[in-house]
Amino acid sequence: MLLQGVGTELIYSFVIIVCSLMVYRATREMYELSSYKGIKYFRYAFLFFAIAYLFKSFIKFLLVYFGASRIIDITPGFVGMITLFAFMYFSSLSVFYLLYSLIWKRWSGRYGIITSFHILSIAIAFITITTTSIAVLIGINLFILAIAIIGLIITYNESRTHKRSKNKKKGSSMYFIYTLLFIFWIFNIVQVLVPSFLQFSQILVDLASLGIFLTILYKVLKKTGSN
Amino acid sequence: MKKRGRLEIIKDILRVIQENRNSIKQTPLLRKSNVSTLKFKEYSKELLEKEFIKETQNSYGEKVISLTQKGYDFLEKYKTIISFIEEFEL
Repeated sequence: MLLQGVGTELIYSFVIIVCSLMVYRATREMYELSSYKGIKYFRYAFLFFAIAYLFKSFIKFLLVYFGASRIIDITPGFVGMITLFAFMYFSSLSVFYLLYSLIWKRWSGRYGIITSFHILSIAIAFITITTTSIAVLIGINLFILAIAIIGLIITYNESRTHKRSKNKKKGSSMYFIYTLLFIFWIFNIVQVLVPSFLQFSQILVDLASLGIFLTILYKVLKKTGSN
Repeated sequence: MKKRGRLEIIKDILRVIQENRNSIKQTPLLRKSNVSTLKFKEYSKELLEKEFIKETQNSYGEKVISLTQKGYDFLEKYKTIISFIEEFEL
């Protein structure tokens, strides 16, 4: 039963990894032609989502292989530590990069932003592997989610004002999709860090995440005209 | 008058070259592109580096600017790029 559940989860993860890599691939030509920073950060966000999901799958595999309930409980300890560190690092980076792809124009001309994303992601990953407190782990992820949601609200309001002043049609549905993506991404992280916390809703989180990534991929392919 | 973005300026410069049978001298290109001399130098340097345009000599031995295949590709994909940026709010 447990193996079957993990198997299904690995299939979901595989589809999400493929979706993310397809988004990265489908936007390559557009970025190469335009060198547009927003597209660059958007692409990187999906590359990091793919890598993070890969580590998430590996963590699930390790948990089953070692028969452990938490990644930090497996021996040898460094295997779990390194995998968890990489997962948290790329997870945080993917959120920061996607958010930055929406707000980079506001912050253009300021230096060190990308470096600070990497430093913050390393700090988050380091705290994650060194703490055993569930409250701290959930707190960190709520902090990331709060940053993402506040950033989205600010850019959404600016976008609406900008479009109204230019008499353009009302905003796209992308802000809603981004919000869902951030919320379910954080659920995904909490699932890995505190497996007992969301165990009853695991299938819901997996299906919702799958739906969101497929929707984004569909929109990307529709716009880019890729096969 | 609406302020043009970087991509729109690049599109306008490339379009001017295309509309002049893919061969235009630097001074009329600068005039028709409607950008300052300083900005034009920056853009033409970038376009040369990215191989969107190339400098050649016409039959009179004059230095002219023309589009490369990459330049044509940009013009072809311009609307798609803008539409993508707007759709994903980038």
